[in-house]
Parts: sequence; C-alpha cells; structure tokens
Amino acid sequence: MARMKFLCDAERCIECNACVTACKNEHEVPWGINRRRVVTIDDGIPGEKSISVACMHCTDAPCQAVCPVDCFYTTDDGVVLHDKDICIGCGYCFYACPFGAPQYPQEGAFGARGKMDKCTFCAGGPEPDNSQAELDKYGRNRLAEGKLPLCAEMCSTKALLAGDGDIVADLFRSRVVRRGGRPDTWGWNTAYKD
Amino acid sequence: MMKKIISIVFATFILSACYEDTSVTLHEPGVYKGKRDTQTMPAEEREALLKQRFNQVQTDR
Repeated sequence: MARMKFLCDAERCIECNACVTACKNEHEVPWGINRRRVVTIDDGIPGEKSISVACMHCTDAPCQAVCPVDCFYTTDDGVVLHDKDICIGCGYCFYACPFGAPQYPQEGAFGARGKMDKCTFCAGGPEPDNSQAELDKYGRNRLAEGKLPLCAEMCSTKALLAGDGDIVADLFRSRVVRRGGRPDTWGWNTAYKD
Repeated sequence: MMKKIISIVFATFILSACYEDTSVTLHEPGVYKGKRDTQTMPAEEREALLKQRFNQVQTDR
C-alpha cells in the first residue's frame, strides 16, 4: 500500500511561493488560511535556505492522537484527513502538530474559531469524491482523478516532491548522490554553527 | 557519628529528588467517528495511477 509523503529539497527551493499560490487557487482557500507556506532560514544572508511546509501526513499523526472528538482518519494512501462536520475547533491538533499545519478561520466576535482546515494532499475529505460538498469543505480531490498535489506538480525547480514515500526517497537519494554529499540543512555543523 | 548519619540521610534524600521518569506518555489515537470515506477507485488502482503520474511529472529532467 502506498504511503503518500511530501519532501521539500532545500537545495532546490527558490522561495517563489508558487506552491502556496497553487494551493490557494486550486482549493479556493479563504483569506487568513494558509494550508502551505514557505519558510526561509537565514533570510537575506548568503546561503539562506527555504522549505515549503504543510501537513506532512504523519504515519503516527499527533493531531489524530489528541483529537477529543476523533475526527481524523488515515486513508489507504496514508493521507491524514478529517471530518469537518464533527470538528469542534478546539485547537488541540494545532498544539500537537510540529509543523503548524492546522489552520482555523476566525468566525464571529471574540476570536471564536471555526472548523479546522489543513492540507488534504489534494485528497478531499469523507464526502463523496468530487462532489460539490467535498469541494466546498475540503477543496479539489485530485488524487481521485489520478493526479498528485498541485503544489508539487507546479514546482518549477522540482524542489517539492509528493508521492509514495519510497519513490520520493529514491529520487531524493539519487539527487544527493549526484551532488556528491549530503545536504547541509541539518547535522552538527548546521545546528551548532558559531 | 550522628552528623555522618544525618549527612547520609540528607544525601539520599537529595539524590532521590534526581529521579527521572523515563517512561514516555503515548497517546493512542481513538476510533474515527466521522463519515466513511468512500473512494471511487480501488486503492491498488489509484496507487498504480499515481506512480505513473509521479514518473510523468515529478522526476528530474
């Protein structure tokens, strides 16, 4: 069974934000909600690195573990989705998520939160595939059409990869070998420089 | 002698405060309570299709 994952190659990401725009446009994501965003480390300094971050569809998802109403489920493809009809907007998943993926529309006065919204890996939700209800609540279901997430398909430098974890890992490994080393985005020299 | 005993008891008390619980709290996910996600395409068929799509649009040129 496939295990869908995202991987962003920091050596290739040029911080163009095309993935963010593609996501917002494809799913008609409202203002104030960013299912995906580009994070830049050492911005403006030579050697800066950028990565595109969204829900990483964890195999052992902490959001799923802490949800008090159990509205999360994992599909056969390993995509973590949720049912907005039973979400109570408590925000527990936001605190549990290490990537800051869950987003909340502000509804009404006093900062009241609406239903949680997050990246669906372009797989929609529990509503019937490609129905109007699914489109309104979760956005397009590209996986049901045999397509991969648009953010990754749109990436001009092929920094953002989306697909079965094994294939993505093979491709990234071949890139690292071709570069003749390992990326400098993690490790002792990065964590403890200066 | 008394002083020695008191210091041993005191040291034992102080060191016992250094105990660290190494057990990790695991939060097991509950049972999903929402609607069933009915997929129009079988998982195996979709997997093959997505693999083909990946090779078509995601690989290095």
